[in-house]
Amino acid sequence: MTRFIAGIVAGAALFALLAWNMAGSLMFTERESPFSVEETVARIQQNIQATGKGWSLSGLRNAAKPIEAAGGNVLPVLMIEACSTQYSAPILKNDDIRFLSNLMPCKISVYKKSDGKVYIGMMNARLIGRLFGPEVGALMEQVAEDQAGFVKFDPSKPAPAMIKGTPGGGGESGGSGGAAGGC
Amino acid sequence: MRTRFKKVLAALAGGLMLAATAAFANPAPTAQPAPAATPATAPAAPGKPAATSTADHSKFEALRQNFKTGPEVTKACLSCHTEAAKQVQHTKHWTWDYTNPQTGQRLGKKNLINNYCTSTISNEKDCMACHAGYGWKDASFDFSNEQNVDCLVCHDTTGSYRKLPGDAGHPIYERKEFPHGSGKFVEAVDLQKVAQKIGKTSRTTCGACHFFGAGANGAKHGDLDSSLQNPGKYLDVHMDKAGLNFTCATCHSTSSHQVAGSRYAMDAAPKGAAHIRGKADDKPASCQSCHGNRPHPEKMGKLNDHTAKVACQTCHIAEYARTPIGSELSWDWSKATTMGPDGKPMAAKDSAGRRAFDSKKGQWVWDSYLVPEYRWFNGEFTYKTYRDKIDPSQTLEINHPGGAPGQADSRIWPFKVHRGKQPYDTENLNLTVQHTAGEDDTALWHNYDWQKAIAKGMQTVGLPFSGKFDFVSTEMYWPITHMVAPKGDALQCQQCHGENSRLKGITGIYMPGRDRNPIVDAIGWGVVGLAFLGSLVHGLVRIVAYRRNRRNGQ
Repeated sequence: MTRFIAGIVAGAALFALLAWNMAGSLMFTERESPFSVEETVARIQQNIQATGKGWSLSGLRNAAKPIEAAGGNVLPVLMIEACSTQYSAPILKNDDIRFLSNLMPCKISVYKKSDGKVYIGMMNARLIGRLFGPEVGALMEQVAEDQAGFVKFDPSKPAPAMIKGTPGGGGESGGSGGAAGGC
Repeated sequence: MRTRFKKVLAALAGGLMLAATAAFANPAPTAQPAPAATPATAPAAPGKPAATSTADHSKFEALRQNFKTGPEVTKACLSCHTEAAKQVQHTKHWTWDYTNPQTGQRLGKKNLINNYCTSTISNEKDCMACHAGYGWKDASFDFSNEQNVDCLVCHDTTGSYRKLPGDAGHPIYERKEFPHGSGKFVEAVDLQKVAQKIGKTSRTTCGACHFFGAGANGAKHGDLDSSLQNPGKYLDVHMDKAGLNFTCATCHSTSSHQVAGSRYAMDAAPKGAAHIRGKADDKPASCQSCHGNRPHPEKMGKLNDHTAKVACQTCHIAEYARTPIGSELSWDWSKATTMGPDGKPMAAKDSAGRRAFDSKKGQWVWDSYLVPEYRWFNGEFTYKTYRDKIDPSQTLEINHPGGAPGQADSRIWPFKVHRGKQPYDTENLNLTVQHTAGEDDTALWHNYDWQKAIAKGMQTVGLPFSGKFDFVSTEMYWPITHMVAPKGDALQCQQCHGENSRLKGITGIYMPGRDRNPIVDAIGWGVVGLAFLGSLVHGLVRIVAYRRNRRNGQ
């Protein structure tokens, strides 16, 4: 009997350890892009604007800029910020879950790695949503569906121009603004 | 007690004296009006010089003229700088002609063909916007005329001196629309103003051509673009405006107008210690000339050993084109003359706003923050010219970097490799020269007719054209040597020594971590296996011995 209980405890501990190790990678997704950083950003921006459902661009931040200003080099990292009032409003209206405003606006980062390839990094909205109950889970389920559409590309379409800066304020390197973007 | 009293008395006396001195030295301000700043009789103090130069060219009578043309300015310059034009006329900036002493090949823009704009020949009126001269519009140009030398293009300090394509190297004499039909106008250059404010060369003057080669900012070299005009430390540790603030000429030092550091005559493996200041240096445009070939502290001696095989640039320029300006990666001429859906010429830009397509010129691909490609390099390129036979079934190397592992003068170098497709004669099997620029009926950018454009170009160089052409894939190598990053951003060990590293294509050298030697591997694994076997046997022996002892009641 003791051996049986010990086995269960050991199994549970092993499961917890595995979950702890994998949680980080499950929370975020990463995929390779067939386009350059700028074109990837531009195509995602175009997709976001075409999605409807209250989605709009909140800004484009260049996370590498402050490091360059401090004299260092990092490969380009551009963060597209987007928000949908359709999904943000129910969360922001509810006092119990307003703290989730920390996750707003949605960010999709596009970056190059030292292998020379371009990658797209996103939060796993579906999984994270489930952690906060059924209401948030249902909303984030829809966000996840929309997000999947943001990164579907049609190579036969010409490359659109990248939208620099933040609509209604701020700049490419970020700073202020975002109000006009919907969140 | 008495001593203490004396000390107090002395301190009081000292304090009184100090107070009195201060009072007399700095009388209290009064309500009287302040005296004149400088009495009329006082000798004038010498003013701070306005510039570091010992000559103010605006005071020179020869330059107080209403100049109508560039050659008029040159004539005035030469009235004092009597030998300047002769010196310039012996440089590549003037001749666009260079014979490689090692290979005997005739190089220079006058002779070469590339996979960007292809050739200057038959297109001189446009291309000579970057020639240090006036009036080179065809083969009749007088290279011996000293007044044809353009002093201002290198020595302008106003930033207002501009030469446009189509004027055969002359600056803008009259306000004109540029580009033609764009509705944008460029003002005429005030030659007198520019002439009176000439000075040393600058990033602006060098960059006017070298940043914009191939017709767009950053297109050609990959490590030269307008971001070097005012770079931060991250981009170029030497040219950092707030730091070392090197100009181009700091390294590309010049004597008798001969500028050091040419791609046509490179030393890929300069040797020896750093040169001391003032010492004559025949290769000042090398890392070694300042840093020596053991540049790292001795405690990092292993890094110094790398200099025997690896160029400094390989580790210290991990990526090039490190701004959104980027650099051009390919130019596909086979797409030129393709019209838009309405049958008219069209143009398009990429997502970053760089040229992507033009019916006149074809299709381009750009990118930024680029990982170089690496090759063994001994500083010598062998070029394919339009006179050489080619094999169109293979990708043609326009310039092949010489060098091999094991050669004392070869190092692993970083390159930008520009790929393209360009026309060749399918019968005569040579690259073609085409007449692209101009408003005449044979110019490709005017009539979109390849046949006429190639026929005119080949006629100009005096070579036959069969009338049949196609497009061949080409590659061109550009050694990366600018945009040196701060030392903290140099490559890390595993970026070269790991599996699938950026040096995976480099052969002829054993690189620990990247390469495997089957014998060493076999020995290593053998030792591991034996150790494991030894432990196993030892454990078994212990268990057997223990059980035997128990059975025997010991």
